[in-house]
Amino acid sequence: MKLLACVKSWLSWILHRRQREMEMEDEVLFHLQTFADDLIRKGSAPEEATRRARLEFGGVESHKDAMRNSIGLRWWDDFCGDLRFAARIMVRNPAFSVVAVLSLAVGIGVNSTLFSLADALVLRPLSVAHPAEVVTLVGKSPSESGGGVSYPDYRDFRDRSQSFDGLVAFTTNSFAFAAKTGDLPDVESGMLVSGNFFHVLGVEPDSGRGFRPDEDEVPGRDAVVVLGHDFWGKHLGADPTIIGRSVTLNGIPFTVIGVAPKRFTGTNQYLRPAMFVPLMMFQKLAANPDWKMLSQRDDRELEVKGRLKPGVSLTQARAELVTIAAALQRAYPVTNRDQSVALMTEMQVRTLRDPSSVALLAMLMTLAALVLLVSCANLANLLLCRARARSGEIAIRLAIGAGRTRLIRQLMAESLAIGLAGCAVSLPLAVAGVTFLSRVKIPSDLPLVISIKMDQRAMLFSVAASVLSVVFFGLVPAVQASRADLVGGLKTGGADRGRKHWFWGRNTLVAGQVALSLVLMMTATMLYRGFQSKLIAGPGFRTDHLLLMSFDPELAHYKDPQIQQFYQQLTDSIRSLPGVRSAALTEVVPTAPAQHQQEIVAENYYTLPRDRSTRTVWADIVGDGYFQTMGIPVLSGRSFDTNDSATAPKVAIVNEVLARHYWPNQNAIGKHLRLNDDKSRELEIVGVANASTYLRLGEGPTEFLYLPLAQNTHSHITLLVQTSGDAMRLVPALRDSVRKLDASLPIYDVRAMSDFYEQGAVGLPRMINQVVGAMGLVALVLTLVGLYGLMSYSVARRTREIGIRMAIGANRASVVLMILCQGLTLILAGLAIGIPASFAAEKGVNAVFSSTSSDPFALVIVVPLFLAVTMLAVWLPARRAARVDPVSTLRNE
Amino acid sequence: MGNQADLLQGTLDLLILKAVSLGPLHGYGVLLRIQQISGQQLEIQQGSLYPALYRVEHQGWITSEWGESENNRKAKFYRLTAAGQRQLRSETEKWNRMSSLIGGILDIKSLKEAEEL
Repeated sequence: MKLLACVKSWLSWILHRRQREMEMEDEVLFHLQTFADDLIRKGSAPEEATRRARLEFGGVESHKDAMRNSIGLRWWDDFCGDLRFAARIMVRNPAFSVVAVLSLAVGIGVNSTLFSLADALVLRPLSVAHPAEVVTLVGKSPSESGGGVSYPDYRDFRDRSQSFDGLVAFTTNSFAFAAKTGDLPDVESGMLVSGNFFHVLGVEPDSGRGFRPDEDEVPGRDAVVVLGHDFWGKHLGADPTIIGRSVTLNGIPFTVIGVAPKRFTGTNQYLRPAMFVPLMMFQKLAANPDWKMLSQRDDRELEVKGRLKPGVSLTQARAELVTIAAALQRAYPVTNRDQSVALMTEMQVRTLRDPSSVALLAMLMTLAALVLLVSCANLANLLLCRARARSGEIAIRLAIGAGRTRLIRQLMAESLAIGLAGCAVSLPLAVAGVTFLSRVKIPSDLPLVISIKMDQRAMLFSVAASVLSVVFFGLVPAVQASRADLVGGLKTGGADRGRKHWFWGRNTLVAGQVALSLVLMMTATMLYRGFQSKLIAGPGFRTDHLLLMSFDPELAHYKDPQIQQFYQQLTDSIRSLPGVRSAALTEVVPTAPAQHQQEIVAENYYTLPRDRSTRTVWADIVGDGYFQTMGIPVLSGRSFDTNDSATAPKVAIVNEVLARHYWPNQNAIGKHLRLNDDKSRELEIVGVANASTYLRLGEGPTEFLYLPLAQNTHSHITLLVQTSGDAMRLVPALRDSVRKLDASLPIYDVRAMSDFYEQGAVGLPRMINQVVGAMGLVALVLTLVGLYGLMSYSVARRTREIGIRMAIGANRASVVLMILCQGLTLILAGLAIGIPASFAAEKGVNAVFSSTSSDPFALVIVVPLFLAVTMLAVWLPARRAARVDPVSTLRNE
Repeated sequence: MGNQADLLQGTLDLLILKAVSLGPLHGYGVLLRIQQISGQQLEIQQGSLYPALYRVEHQGWITSEWGESENNRKAKFYRLTAAGQRQLRSETEKWNRMSSLIGGILDIKSLKEAEEL
């Protein structure tokens, strides 16, 4: 309470200084006048009264100072004065200021940019009310640690738990959206949510309303939809009259009841849902009578989040949920065997679901921190050097009675001035960096966005980073300067006193810079070379003359046999088009962000206990002709063909990595495996495919399973068309053929594979390379500046010594050599640390990209180049040393 | 001024609180009231009252407002806040405890009496 009052009064003084000063003046004046009036009333003469009043009051100015002190304004006024003085000094030494400010600005700019990226990908909190209270409930079983929850389980958790102010369930879903009945629908990605979704998350719509609890109770009854704000603005022109109107989703009329608030961007950082529909409408929308998500306890599709009640800890809530899960295991032993739950914070969930992003960001942030370290080393170096140059001034200040603390405060204010200027300059740099990073697109027409932006969080980060850097790196020089040797400082006025330990710190700083920038350069080179070799090796599938086109027949209410029939007709009609060389269907496109995971058990593991028998691998459901169309060689056995129909024996194709894992040195053809440990779903392996790229370029060996489409109906499908000419030119003809089959079926994500591959698989790693490369270059330049500065300074201080050497017979070449040797020692010391550190860094980078490549050859490229450039920074001061004129130097003495 | 008592360190703040607790006052009024209720026994160096007033206001124990004085001049009036009331109460208690303690000690006449305590 008292503190609050103090802060308030202090702030009011700082913000309204002029007014407060005037009031203070008035108050004193009033006192003097009233006192004088009283004296006059008692009989004094007016002049005498005024004089006496002034006398008894005492020194007005000194009392006013005491009044200011009472508010604690003294240090603030001193601080402002120090800052003004610092600014004057900065203006008077433009070269010093520019180098210091730019060094810092570059370091901070790099960090702010990457912070923005990290913020966009991982750090930014959920866009809901009080995001810290919102936790995620994930399913846990021996084979999965971050799974979904089934609807019946969700309902039990919701109704039995006491720890939450509500638990919500939701899942993403594709909708065929048409604003009017009869319009050709677009496929939009939205969410099916429980009725309490908006209420619990605290994001009630601004216009219209959220769901009423009763609107999510009866399956299929309440056809209501809340639109996402982005979608409403982009596709409906932000039309406010849309509320209350009818739109169609998957051909069913829905009433729009509200628009989600603008600040709510969905429940994960990538996907902006176009619309929200009650979960109870799932069955009606899906129109697949076999998929009973809402009633099957083992259909774990939903994501569940809850808002903790005030005062309930995560551990308490977790304990309660685990107890409920145990009760469910006992009650439903068939479906819930081994099924438990875990409760996680948003950060934990993100790390669990997207570990590669987190690792990548950790790597980039570490590299950025190294750049900041290099730039701060420059700053510290400059400050040390200037403190030395100003030792005369400092000695005078100390001699005439300045306190050491006061002196350090003033020097720190100078650092702070540099820090603030650096921060200001870093902002445009960071904005440029963020603009550069925002070019990255995720290859999908779905509303996936990485929204990288400079917001208050990033700004705050920049300010904090710069202030902390200057305070930390300014303190040592300031303390050292204030310890100045009074007598010596005054006597020689800042000239050479040859104190060895002054140089010790600076040499270490520069050698450290050399080491760090070498690490950054090596990392950049290794990444670049690794990426290039992968790019040259190619992804292992065709990327040219290939067209992608996606469908979802379920959105048009196709049933299973119809879907298969449609697929058959589609491929037949496409293959007969002129200009088409081959066509095939696939569930997922390699390198797409969403991939299919499949739990399998191979025959030699059938008898092992469940938790050790199953293995989760990446998988794809493909139609016949897939391997030929994609240009993926089948190494042995056969590819899928039209005989692999729904009634034929179940088959599968594995890639060589999976085959090697289960059957090393054996032929995998003819071996068996089961899906999901389901005895009725045993498959025979009929082929082994070449390993190609599945998730992203540069991934490690990845086990992969192919299943035939005819035996594994899947509704969301992509058609791959290999063309003889330009792929995109065939689009109208393809659209025509699809329209002839069914005019109401939406087509989406039409693109050339080359674009998709370029944006998705190549774009991101290329951007990472560019970012790391840029950081390497920045660090190198900063190091060169540091090295050059140190050597120039050293030459300047040794002028007299060099003069003497030359006077007694040293020639120019030997002077140059002497300085070069001094610089070389520094550089070699840096390299001696930097080279082993680079290989340690390579290990870290490999861990991030889960690769094992080692690239000692990078050393052969980087080190000589690095030596050449750094020696140049040494050679320039050395040349200056050689130009020292012995006569004039010695005469100065 | 010889018969006037010097103020103990820190007591000026307490006196200001007490003076203002009897009704809003401007700075000069605070001075007069302290002098009046002390029966002219206490004299405060006039100028040094103000730093103390500012210090007490800074802590949030009194608050100020511009108004019109009895001689029709613009003056700054100080008023006790709720926090000030609490502060005055606790400080008064502390003062009483302290003065009776010190008084008791000073009343001791002999070593025997001191040992009995």
